[in-house]
Amino acid sequence: MIKLNSIEKSYRHGLSQTFVLRRVNAEIKSGDFVSIMGPSGAGKSTLLHILGMHDSAWTGEYWLHDDPIHQLSAKDRMRLQKQHIGFVFQSYHLLDNLTVYENIDLPLSYRDVKKAEREGMVADILDRFNIVGKKDLFPNQLSGGQQQLVAIARAVVAKPSLILADEPTGNLHSDQGKEIMELFRRLNEGGTTIVQVTHSKENASFGKRVINLKDGWIVDEN
Amino acid sequence: MLGRAVLVQDVRYALRSFIRAPGFTLVALLTLALGIGGTTAIFSIVDGVVLRPLPYQDPGRLLRLTRVSPTGATDSFSAADYRDLRKDVTTLSAIAAYRSDVVDLTGRSEPVRIIGMQTTAGFFDVFSAPPLLGRTYHETTDQPGAAVAVIGEAIWRQQFGADPAVIGTQVRLNGTPTEVIGVVPEWLRHPSKSDTWMLSSLDVPTSPLGMAGGNDSRDVHYFSAVGRVAGDRNLIDAQEQLKAIGDRLARDVPTNAGSSVRGDPLAASMVADVRTTMMVLLAAGGFVLLIACANVAGLLIARGAARRRELAVRTALGAGRARLVQQLLTESVVLAIAGGALGLLVANWTLDLLVQLAPENLPRLADVTLDWRVGLFAFAATIVVGILFGLTPALQSSRPELNADLKEGGRHGTSRTGMRNVMVVAQVALALVLLIGAGLMLTSFSRLRSVDPGFRTTELVTVELALPLSRYDEAAQRKFYMGVLERLRANPLTAQSAMLFPFPFGGGNAQAGVEVIGQPEKPPEQRLTADLNSISPGYLRASGVRLIEGRDFTEADGPDSPPVVLISESARREFGGKNPIGEKIDLGDPFTVIGIVSDARRRSLNTPPRAAIYLPYTQFVLPYMGAMVRTDRGAGPVASAVKAAVAEVDPDLPIGEVKTMEQMIEESTGEPRFRSFLIASFAMLALLLAAVGVYGLISFTVTQRVPEIGVRLALGASPRQVFTQVIGHGLRLAVIGVVLGLIAAAGATTLMQSLLFNTSATDPVVYLSLAVLLLAMAALACYVPARRAMRVDPMTALRSE
Repeated sequence: MIKLNSIEKSYRHGLSQTFVLRRVNAEIKSGDFVSIMGPSGAGKSTLLHILGMHDSAWTGEYWLHDDPIHQLSAKDRMRLQKQHIGFVFQSYHLLDNLTVYENIDLPLSYRDVKKAEREGMVADILDRFNIVGKKDLFPNQLSGGQQQLVAIARAVVAKPSLILADEPTGNLHSDQGKEIMELFRRLNEGGTTIVQVTHSKENASFGKRVINLKDGWIVDEN
Repeated sequence: MLGRAVLVQDVRYALRSFIRAPGFTLVALLTLALGIGGTTAIFSIVDGVVLRPLPYQDPGRLLRLTRVSPTGATDSFSAADYRDLRKDVTTLSAIAAYRSDVVDLTGRSEPVRIIGMQTTAGFFDVFSAPPLLGRTYHETTDQPGAAVAVIGEAIWRQQFGADPAVIGTQVRLNGTPTEVIGVVPEWLRHPSKSDTWMLSSLDVPTSPLGMAGGNDSRDVHYFSAVGRVAGDRNLIDAQEQLKAIGDRLARDVPTNAGSSVRGDPLAASMVADVRTTMMVLLAAGGFVLLIACANVAGLLIARGAARRRELAVRTALGAGRARLVQQLLTESVVLAIAGGALGLLVANWTLDLLVQLAPENLPRLADVTLDWRVGLFAFAATIVVGILFGLTPALQSSRPELNADLKEGGRHGTSRTGMRNVMVVAQVALALVLLIGAGLMLTSFSRLRSVDPGFRTTELVTVELALPLSRYDEAAQRKFYMGVLERLRANPLTAQSAMLFPFPFGGGNAQAGVEVIGQPEKPPEQRLTADLNSISPGYLRASGVRLIEGRDFTEADGPDSPPVVLISESARREFGGKNPIGEKIDLGDPFTVIGIVSDARRRSLNTPPRAAIYLPYTQFVLPYMGAMVRTDRGAGPVASAVKAAVAEVDPDLPIGEVKTMEQMIEESTGEPRFRSFLIASFAMLALLLAAVGVYGLISFTVTQRVPEIGVRLALGASPRQVFTQVIGHGLRLAVIGVVLGLIAAAGATTLMQSLLFNTSATDPVVYLSLAVLLLAMAALACYVPARRAMRVDPMTALRSE
């Protein structure tokens, strides 16, 4: 599903250059559940944002479903991102002005899905995530765990084949964190490929594979 | 379908987000309402006065015909010139001559004085207006001499109780029994407002002086003319033919040498004098609107910076840039529409106020209204404004730096204050242009009002005493005015009285070419034209015009005594260096100069004193004279005293308008006062908006920089240094804006030069003082956020980081 060849990212400071990622090579197969780990500043989130196509200033080759992302225009990347990827953030990033329902509906509206179809899809997700009763609430009326649940619902509503999660339990206490990881596992078992960034070995244990980064290099992969 | 659903969704989100940010929404709406409302109100005045077509069929075919004198001044027609013109012109389908007059409407209950227009039969062929009742008179159906009149809707309602049976009734207009044949709608008020239209007894209007209008004189110019271009001819054809006729008359008739005839589109010619004023006012309104736009754009950019996380999330969820721009523009247009709706309310209130403040002599003021044309303008302005102030913030905010924005949650906004800085600089620059414009106008107006007209303007009351020619021949006029003056002088309240024509600043005038007997004859274009004044003994004492040499008129200067005149100092040069006293001038008859009086401004404060000739009212009596009374008791008691004196001489005669001289001067300066007031109001609004803009930016910057300020303070910066830095930021922007504003003002205000009196459009005192005022306002606007920056607690700031 994903193939990375010699991905590098760096910043220039005058004459010097600071590398954030160095010659990253990796392969992620469909149905995989990969955890990216490493100390702070190792380049974990940067790698995740490159995978999510939020960042385009890098070198190397990135293949997604045989599409050469490194050669595509911004418009084509956006099209592929909409088609394949859902994103979950550590800080949930729900939009404060929108209700739970509207937050979940948002990715569908950006994919030009017809209203009637959207209503069915959002209702299905609300039901699956057991949050029907909360659909008219605003994010600030929910607990952290509930907010992350909604954020994951929003990430999967468009039926992406790949979910990228940036420390999805970082702001949750352990019980809530565990529930979220169980949810990821169920999604993975349903066929969705998941790549998460995490500091927690316990969370990583929900996945099938770990990629360890340090100073921008992959130091270990199992 | 999908597009509409998305639009509805965006509108719903926009409304919700505005409700959830009441502070931002209130400031933005207020700013927009003032900007759109002010501009709409001004537009409705400019539209009514200048832009709106006249309410007649094919209004573009209406022409005002004028005679142009050898000096280039526009002049009235003489009967003979008009007849020649009418005989030769073929490009006009209708032509009419008219003369406005005060008319006494009697024969009903109390005599009423109204404004009338004596016209030739073709008047309603030119102004084709369907009557409300009855009919109008026409060239083909009505012959000169038929005593018929058409009355206006207002008089019909006020004086005749809107009675349909008025048609066919007889009324007395200036004493002449006249049949009312029709009632015309209120909107028929061109080329000037009138209450009644009377068919002239001749093929030209009769002379106001009671002279035989039917003579062939080319020297007495006393009426105006209008025409309608024929359907198969165009405007240019008509103008060329009129000029050709005028040129031929100038060649063939010695007294017309150097003169010409012109045909100007009526609507444009009615407002020619105020067109520049109107355009300057519209530009001032536009400036305020631009400042309001820049202000709201600044607010939106700040809001966009605070919404970076939201926009980054939307992008991460699949929103393309175009989609984000669409959403942000929808928000700004929704905001603009709400602002526009409030703006219409503001315009409605403001317009009422402006119409009340507008000078009465502003042409077409009655056509000013808040109708669909103005509504369309407000709507268009709203949409343009919505896009104008929304586009830059939308384009800027729709390009989130995803990685950083998602991590930082939109707290770091300092890198994006660049465009807000630009908005603040633009606001300051625009506000300074308006302030300087207002400063110049006010300086000019103040200088105009401080002009000494050459006579004492205080404690002076004037009363119009026009006489109907049907009852008053020349001898009767003289007897009436002498009788009233005698009674006024017998009353201690009105002891210092005089009769005169015309009143200074009253709009009336009479002129004559001056020829000094014994001096070499001058060509027509070099001949002095002097203002003629008819005065009674005592005028000089009552008005304060000084006698410099010779003697004043006395009661002995009667109708049968030798003709005498006083001249003003400006007329002295016509005497070739000789002492004018004892010399004679030719005014039809030889008049001996018996005295020289000081110059006085009589037409307007901004017109330098013209050469003037004063004749005794017994020797040059006119039926339009009035009384001037010096008193410290005010207009009310004088009006009663004059009314009583008139009633003793003629119980059927109403007195005309009673005004103090100060009122007359106020009215004569109405237009410059109006435009100065409006531009000053706009400038104050602009100053306020610019101050809000500077305050908003600096306040926003301080909020964004709280962590940085915390670090600075923790590292040893003193609160004073922080204060100076914040103030410095605001003032730097203000100084850039001021410099740009000074340059722009130097260019823009040259367009105003023709509206300024004794004031240069680049007056350095005005420029510098207003630049300093604006900088002071900017410093004040920075003060509050700068104080807040001083009080940042480093511990709290760093903890929040």
